Amino acid sequence: MSLTDLLILLRQDLNQTFRFVGTGRRSEQKSVFRRFLGPIIAIVVAVVIILAVTWIVPLIGWNTIAALISQNLAIGSTLFNIILLFSFIGSIMVSATTVANSQRMEYLMTMPISLRTLFLEKTIIIIVYSSLLWLVIGTPLIIGFAIVSPLPLAFLAIISYLVFMLVLVTIGVAFGGLLGLLFSRIVAGRRRLRQVGYFLMSTLAILFSVIWYYFLYSSEDSALFEWFFQLAEQIGLTSDLTPGYSVSVIILGLLVGADFGLIQILVVGVYALFAGGLAYLNAVVSEKAHYSGWLMSGSKRSSKEEIVIEHEPWDPQPIPGFTFNKTISASIWYNITNVRRESRVFARYLMGPLQFVIFFFIPVLTNPEGMGFFTPFLIIAALIPFSTSYGLYFAGYETVYEGRNLLNLQLAATNMEDYVRGKIYSAVPFTIAASSLVGVLILLVYVSFWFYIPLIIGAAVFTNLASGAVAANAAAIGGDFKAQRMVTRQRGSSVQMPIRGWSILRAQLLPNVIGYLGTFSMIILGLSLGAPFAYLALPIYGVLCWQIMRHYSRSAGLALARIEASEYL
Amino acid sequence: MIEAQELTKKFNEFTAVDHLSFTVSPGETYALLGPNGSGKSTTMRMLLGLLRPTEGTARISGHDIRKDIVAAKRVMGYVPEEPVLPERLTGWEYVNYVADMWRIERGAEREEEIDELLTLLDIRDASDDLIETYSKGMARKIGLIAALVHRPKVLILDEFQAGIDPRGAATIKEVLNGLSSRGATVLMSTHILEIAEQMADRIGIIQEGRMVAEGTMDQLRQKAKGQASLEEIFLDLTGGPDMQMIAQYLGDAGDEG
Repeated sequence: MSLTDLLILLRQDLNQTFRFVGTGRRSEQKSVFRRFLGPIIAIVVAVVIILAVTWIVPLIGWNTIAALISQNLAIGSTLFNIILLFSFIGSIMVSATTVANSQRMEYLMTMPISLRTLFLEKTIIIIVYSSLLWLVIGTPLIIGFAIVSPLPLAFLAIISYLVFMLVLVTIGVAFGGLLGLLFSRIVAGRRRLRQVGYFLMSTLAILFSVIWYYFLYSSEDSALFEWFFQLAEQIGLTSDLTPGYSVSVIILGLLVGADFGLIQILVVGVYALFAGGLAYLNAVVSEKAHYSGWLMSGSKRSSKEEIVIEHEPWDPQPIPGFTFNKTISASIWYNITNVRRESRVFARYLMGPLQFVIFFFIPVLTNPEGMGFFTPFLIIAALIPFSTSYGLYFAGYETVYEGRNLLNLQLAATNMEDYVRGKIYSAVPFTIAASSLVGVLILLVYVSFWFYIPLIIGAAVFTNLASGAVAANAAAIGGDFKAQRMVTRQRGSSVQMPIRGWSILRAQLLPNVIGYLGTFSMIILGLSLGAPFAYLALPIYGVLCWQIMRHYSRSAGLALARIEASEYL
Repeated sequence: MIEAQELTKKFNEFTAVDHLSFTVSPGETYALLGPNGSGKSTTMRMLLGLLRPTEGTARISGHDIRKDIVAAKRVMGYVPEEPVLPERLTGWEYVNYVADMWRIERGAEREEEIDELLTLLDIRDASDDLIETYSKGMARKIGLIAALVHRPKVLILDEFQAGIDPRGAATIKEVLNGLSSRGATVLMSTHILEIAEQMADRIGIIQEGRMVAEGTMDQLRQKAKGQASLEEIFLDLTGGPDMQMIAQYLGDAGDEG
């Protein structure tokens, strides 16, 4: 391994990433301002933080601040350990993905460098990216404190912070990368296990975030922090054996004069060596993974031995009991298969709405006695975002993610209205499943509401149909049909939505208005005039939703048929 | 010089390359032919160190690919079938970057040479544009220039002609012939049999990972009992189209039409 090779690779990689001049295809060039927006924001944030610190600290008094920091080094320790933890969690699959996509680096792999050097360079790049946010926010804070600190060595804290932050992030990234490679080794060649694993992990991540939101919004501020630091202590984040503790003690010690000794410097030195070793090990294991072919998706070639393949007759009827025309049935089958085979996305689509419907339950969970009467209504209210979101995901987002496949559909002169309808219908089985679960939940908490359960399921399906069509139309108008090529907009990414601007607002707002107005109008009718009246209103709501679906699916179909190839190629 | 000895690559149960041996001498152009999935690209990837052989080895200008792949890579240039290039570099930057990786002395001489290659392949005007703005053919030309910039002793080309305009393809053929006559070892794969027939000194035909025929055109003709063209020889050795099925399909299509 040569340091020169590593430096050349790093220089070019960084050169590409932080390139601001002349980027983008000629037809898609961003303005100079937009290209520089990121760095401008970073600089503005840094300046604001420095000014704020240098203004506020003298107001409170340096001695008070210094005493406060010195007495609470454990908080600093927790924060630094959390940065390590975030880097770790965020990087679990990074090395495995880099190796799996190594074909994209073929031009680098044929260069006279070892693959180990190449993978090490990629690990370093990931470390740099993962540290950026912490460096942009943290460095100005430390600079601000160093300016107002009367201690002569305070400015050393800035350099220490930069170095130690890289050490912490390196440990997190390299360790996460190794764990991801281990997972990949375990699931290598076991497609089903991988699918199930991804589904469960994604579901757990969503549930974890739901619980987190719950605690965040249901606790009082002080109680939350108390709970949080108790938890941090219990899991050892405040321990003086952790990297975060040593880093915290040295940086804050330099800033405010808290005691630290040679032992802490030695410990950080050991952690730095450990970090370097882990990063190198990551590169070695990545190289091994590449050569051993764990991550290969299997040979693309046909087998040497003759295998007689007997195909089942092709007649996908993806929703049992219903017969559709060829376009619709193929569209439903394609949509469900496409989502199901990417289990991470499948989990996100099915469980994602939980992340915001938790807010409906916070009043009930925090005050179960006082809110008892409203519970079934809140459960119904929580179901509606599932119906509308399934419509948005399966019909809206998936229409956008057709991407280049639109070329095939347009060339095949597919009836796009039917194709859109297939996408809309594909969400119905999942809506029925979700609303049935809600029905069971209602039975458990408020059995006298049983009469309304079929109505709720019916209303959820109709809402879902209307939502899907509205979302598909919004997607056809404002979708970014190249979304799959952007990491932040890809399927399953929660960073940016694939539908842009006003269209996404329309895709989300209108279905919810329809769903809430329709469902609760029927429930109120039932409660005030008698339950059968609610059922009398259901067909009216059904017809209304059906008409909305017909109108918008036609409109979406026409828009999709007219989309120019430059939009998706 | 390339010396492949019993090269074998298995992907789980599937054997992609099966004990393949061949030698390409300096100054020789060797065409590796075979149907889709016969193991040509896998063989090339093993020679380039992108895949590690399951069995066997190869020596590139004397460097064993198992023992010292970096030294072997240093004398090789590779033009892939579908080049994936760094999109956010300009063509000029990319070629210079590659030159740096091969530790070619920076300076006027290097820049003149790169300029010459850019002009030769008709891409000099676009050399300051980002690679992401290039057409497929332009990207392939830049890929070829990057493969040539360090004057490789061994040049490996996978379907080099694909996506290149006729003038570009003719230029490349001349360049390759020139390099070969100056002692470079050229190994190429192609599906265009005329190119192999025109350019290659020797031809190896592989099927299911095994060498089924190897030699000069005359030697192959003798083996194939006097078949006149390379296409006839190739089809004879690897199996031609199923005329009965074609007739059946055309009949069916005709009935429908």
